[in-house]
Amino acid sequence: MAATTHLLRRVFVWELPVRVYHWVNALSITILCITGYLIGKPPAFMFSGEAWERYWFGWIRYIHFATAYIFVFNFIFRLYWGFVGNKYANWKNFIPTNKKFWAEIWQVLKIDILQIKSGGHMSVGHNALAGFIYFFTFLAFVVQVITGFGLYEAMSDNWFAKLFAWVPVLAGNDMLLRNIHHLFMWFFILFTIIHVYLVFYHDYVEGRGEISSMGGGWKFIEEEEFHHHQKEEQKESKK
Amino acid sequence: MSSRNERKSYYEELRHSGYSRRDFMKFCATVAAYLGLEASGVSQIAKALQDKPRIPVIWLHFQECTCCSESFIRSSHPIVADILLDKLSLDYTETLMAASGHQAEKCMRDTMEKYKGEYVLCIEGSVPTEADGVYCMIGGRTSMDILKEAASGAKAVIAWGSCASNGCVQSAKPNPTGATPIHKIIKGVPLIKVPGCPPIGEVMAGVLVHIITFGTLPELDGIGRPKAFYSKRVHDTCYRRPFYDAGLFVETFDDENAKKGYCLYKVGCKGPTTYNACGVTKWNGGTSYPIQSGHGCFGCSEENYWDAGALYARAQPFPGFGIESDADKIGTAAAIATGVGIAAHAVMTNLRKSKLIDDVIEEGKEAEKEL
Amino acid sequence: MSQRIVVDPVTRIEGHLRVEADIQNGKIVDAFSSGTMVRGIEKILKGRDPRDAWAFVGRVCGVCTSIHSLASVRTVEDALNITIPPNAELVRNLMFATLYMHDHVVHFYHLHALDWVDIVSALKADPKKTSEIAQSISNYPKSSPGYFSDLIKRLTKYVESGQLGIFANGYWGHSAYKLPPEVNLIGVAHYLEALEWQKEIVKIQAIFGGKNPHPNFLVGGMACSIGLDDVSSINAERLAHVEQLLKDAKEFITQVYIPDLLAIAPYYLDWGAIGGGLGNYLAYGDLPTNGYRDTSSYKFPPGAILNKDLSRVYEVNMREDGEIQEFINNSWYDYAGGNDKGLHPWKGETEIKYTGPQPPFEHLDTNKAYSFIKTPRWKGNAMEVGPLARVLVGYASGKEEYKEIVDSTLSKLGVPATALFSTLGRTAARGLESALMADWALDFYDELINNIRNGDTRMANMDMFNPEKWPAKAMGVGHTEAPRGALGHWIVIEDKKIANYQLVVPTTWNASPRDAAGKQSAYEAALMDTPVADSNQPVEILRTIHSFDPCLACAVH
Ligand code: HEM
Ligand code: HEM
Ligand code: NFV
Ligand code: SF4
Ligand code: SF4
Ligand code: F3S
Ligand SMILES: [Mg+2]
Repeated sequence: MAATTHLLRRVFVWELPVRVYHWVNALSITILCITGYLIGKPPAFMFSGEAWERYWFGWIRYIHFATAYIFVFNFIFRLYWGFVGNKYANWKNFIPTNKKFWAEIWQVLKIDILQIKSGGHMSVGHNALAGFIYFFTFLAFVVQVITGFGLYEAMSDNWFAKLFAWVPVLAGNDMLLRNIHHLFMWFFILFTIIHVYLVFYHDYVEGRGEISSMGGGWKFIEEEEFHHHQKEEQKESKK
Repeated sequence: MSSRNERKSYYEELRHSGYSRRDFMKFCATVAAYLGLEASGVSQIAKALQDKPRIPVIWLHFQECTCCSESFIRSSHPIVADILLDKLSLDYTETLMAASGHQAEKCMRDTMEKYKGEYVLCIEGSVPTEADGVYCMIGGRTSMDILKEAASGAKAVIAWGSCASNGCVQSAKPNPTGATPIHKIIKGVPLIKVPGCPPIGEVMAGVLVHIITFGTLPELDGIGRPKAFYSKRVHDTCYRRPFYDAGLFVETFDDENAKKGYCLYKVGCKGPTTYNACGVTKWNGGTSYPIQSGHGCFGCSEENYWDAGALYARAQPFPGFGIESDADKIGTAAAIATGVGIAAHAVMTNLRKSKLIDDVIEEGKEAEKEL
Repeated sequence: MSQRIVVDPVTRIEGHLRVEADIQNGKIVDAFSSGTMVRGIEKILKGRDPRDAWAFVGRVCGVCTSIHSLASVRTVEDALNITIPPNAELVRNLMFATLYMHDHVVHFYHLHALDWVDIVSALKADPKKTSEIAQSISNYPKSSPGYFSDLIKRLTKYVESGQLGIFANGYWGHSAYKLPPEVNLIGVAHYLEALEWQKEIVKIQAIFGGKNPHPNFLVGGMACSIGLDDVSSINAERLAHVEQLLKDAKEFITQVYIPDLLAIAPYYLDWGAIGGGLGNYLAYGDLPTNGYRDTSSYKFPPGAILNKDLSRVYEVNMREDGEIQEFINNSWYDYAGGNDKGLHPWKGETEIKYTGPQPPFEHLDTNKAYSFIKTPRWKGNAMEVGPLARVLVGYASGKEEYKEIVDSTLSKLGVPATALFSTLGRTAARGLESALMADWALDFYDELINNIRNGDTRMANMDMFNPEKWPAKAMGVGHTEAPRGALGHWIVIEDKKIANYQLVVPTTWNASPRDAAGKQSAYEAALMDTPVADSNQPVEILRTIHSFDPCLACAVH
């Protein structure tokens, strides 16, 4: 059986800032999860030396806090880029603002998750469901930053940390903050597992170079799809 | 808050109400006679009454265990005898006052009238709000009633201990009596929370001494606690901190690590989330504090601490998942479930989308051949 | 016609006690004791981790602080069949002794003394004469004429300020005050000395338990590890501190407390015939010297005495369904199975239901339920608990130490043994056991040192700490002798959680309302027939009630 041949069009989707953001983000979340887990449940080490010889737990915490700063400013930068970046980076990709968005979420659910349907048009950037999930991920970032810096505030004189002085006051009990903070770590772990799987899934099923797109910024879409999206765009701009 | 110097002495008050110096001296003589003093005592009384009075304090007890009063009398600087005799006038406290019954009630009424807007009101204990307040009654009145009346003429209110500041043990779930902390009932009067179960004696004395000595309330943090004593976490002032940073922990009580004084984090220490002066001021004249004696801090100065996690666990059990469940157990379970879901999805993908995938592969292979 | 008088608040106690008494011809003909504050701690405990219970129940009371925690860890250890190491037993005994010495001294000077000592009369004392008396009764160093004249000056200045603070509105000058000014002055001096001393003795609890009030306990032992090479564990410095404090405590008790007691008592010997009350006494016993399970090794022996009969000591079984029961006929509670049956604490219930008058009110309706305190009974008997019960049980059990100290005190005061069954007897018994305690505590200390020297540094048995090892269901009972008397906690553990937790507390026994048969409990019975000279100034009621050292937070919890 001869397969239909597709002509592929190269589309520049992820600008350099988005790519850099992505990997800084991915790396810092990984580090924060590992160090955070250790902070929550330190392993038992047998040790016969003296306390001053070691500082590993202090380092773990230091790495957690240092990474936290990188994470948060990287995130703030991404928020900014949501307003000035290209259309694939725009904040509108993340928030369902119209019927079309919801329709696409439903479509993706049917095609990719429930697998009860195939075919149909694929978005070029993230699909609507992915965007919507990233939206929740961003909210989780906010929670983690608030609880994290809320906890950190009392041990730091840094102006940025001090911006969160209201957090313990609002929470009433720091133990609550820690528990929320700890719980959200699991959100990130689950997100990462699913996210990485889906990236491979899309790459495998669609053959558009999904994985490498976060490296070079390019995706490769079918000529017919290209024209479809072009028409869609023109319709949009006429309105 | 007005300074002590602005307060009128007895003499000034009498003069203000139209009495003469002669009336005043006669009054002093009566007092002296009542107290069984010699004639020479009269002039001394007169002198004292022309001096400024000591700050009057009314100390009320509601739903409490009196550990706050007990802690207060443990203060080593200043010692309580000096506070009571020289620094303030403790006009009402059920724990120590000589008078009982209606004589005691009169003490309170006298101070409330004579020093309206001048006295400091100290509250030990929470106020039950269920069942119209009958779960705490004194002299046939509810604590709610007494509190509202006493607070209306107070210059400032001090909420002693966790009971008065956050409800403490009786407000733990299911809070059978509707135990309520003072700040939720009293509005419009400056209020200082001095949490802890109990607060450290020297901290309690320190708050009062601040008011007496400087004539102002101490500076408070966002929750209304004096910054001086509650701005640092126990963990950040803990002398076991080097062990924490070195990752050296007590694994179970009385193990080898415990004998070496390692950090108590893994046996449930809540020092990292507890704001109190224990690590610096310490307890009982600097003798020790919970962590120093080998038991973790359990956050006795924190709001809602009885329901914020078990004593010996770092993480809180998860509501609805049983006493043994914490975020990690649930997270691990969810991760496993996710893995299973992904595997199933991958299998399904290869089955249901086999045509699509085959096409892509076919197309690629053809291209390969064509090259 | 009798006249109903109300004393509410009863002050110089812990908590909220109301006494109503009917007076006829200058005597009390009926009396009602009511606890007017409740928190519901037994309800709050349900569903929680049994290992945490000590912290919750510790907060029942900050005056007898630590004793509920002790009872609680013993209760859980009983349910889970945990035996604690000998060192932990000794440290618990030291915590216990510390509490006693503190609580009894504070009670005597700060809660009870002003019923007997007229502070205003003290101003008229002659410092030189005072000094002579002081030196004749004790070799306590602070007894010079200069010391007493400085004190008079300080007090005079205080009184002249017109702000009498805690001393305002007392019954000063009442005809019931019998002490000469000099003895009154000694009383006032030691009121202040005791106030300063009491903050020292509790440091022992801070060393072993981290703080006082509310030191820490641990199911399985104590958390204070012995680590001779660590700065904060129990090391040579910490131990030396404990020893010094124990020696100072003994000095204060033998040179101040006991001499004062013996100096004041002779003026009030008539109170050796007033305030006796029930004549039934109950003690669970405590201070093990060979492990908690060996009750025969207790310094305080267990047992019950009925009808003042010192020739027989009954055995008490806390597990037996029919022995200890709590009734609520006159209390503001509801039992699911009907309010007229008594419940053994393992089946105990705490469903609060107020049926009293709507506040503000003048009088309670004492024909109906009139207290938040439940009514405990032992085999149906109302029992008095406390220092007097302990001393009598020790005495009746034939323990040498008790015989010696009781007989010598009786002969010093020149009163018969029956004077023990009284208000004065209660107050004296508290002093006597404090003196015993001061010695015992040093013995416990020596033994702890001995153990460490012999290489035993174990402080906790953690074998059963992990809930995974627990049985599906377990029941336990723990007992101790709180300063105010016999204290029992009962627990039912199901699914690793507390299914039921009940406390029957000393002041619950003593201050409870009458039972279904109208039989009064200890406070009410002791007030009967007490003469009241001036119903507007009922100092006599305070004397008898204070002799029990009421703790209402305990009684109701
Ligand atoms: C994806 C992001 C993050 C993850 C997954 C994460 C995870 C964790 C975890 C699991 C803990 C241990 C909590 C416990 O069980 O007690 C922790 C502690 C903590 N985290 Fe994070 N965290 C993140 C971001 C942040 C950020 C942005 C900050 C901001 C400064 C922060 C500050 C802290 C602090 C202060 C602690 C307590 C450390 C201590 O007191 O020793 N975290 N984190
Ligand atoms: C092997 C690892 C990873 C690869 C190959 C990868 C790849 C990608 C790709 C291709 C996208 C674009 C998705 C789309 O087209 O809809 C993306 C987006 C994203 N990824 Fe990853 N990712 C990886 C790991 C991670 C990790 C560890 C995280 C963090 C937990 C993460 C967080 C995100 C986020 C938040 C976005 C949305 C980016 C945005 O538009 O701002 N990724 N990733
Ligand atoms: N009653 C009582 Fe307690 C004592 N002693 C406890 O068990 O006082 Ni607060
Ligand atoms: S805060 Fe704690 S110590 Fe103070 S009265 Fe309440 S329970 Fe007792
Ligand atoms: S013992 Fe507690 S407060 Fe001290 S360092 Fe360890 S965790 Fe922090
Ligand atoms: S339990 Fe309380 S006493 Fe201090 S160390 Fe923790 S705040
Ligand atoms: Mg009970």
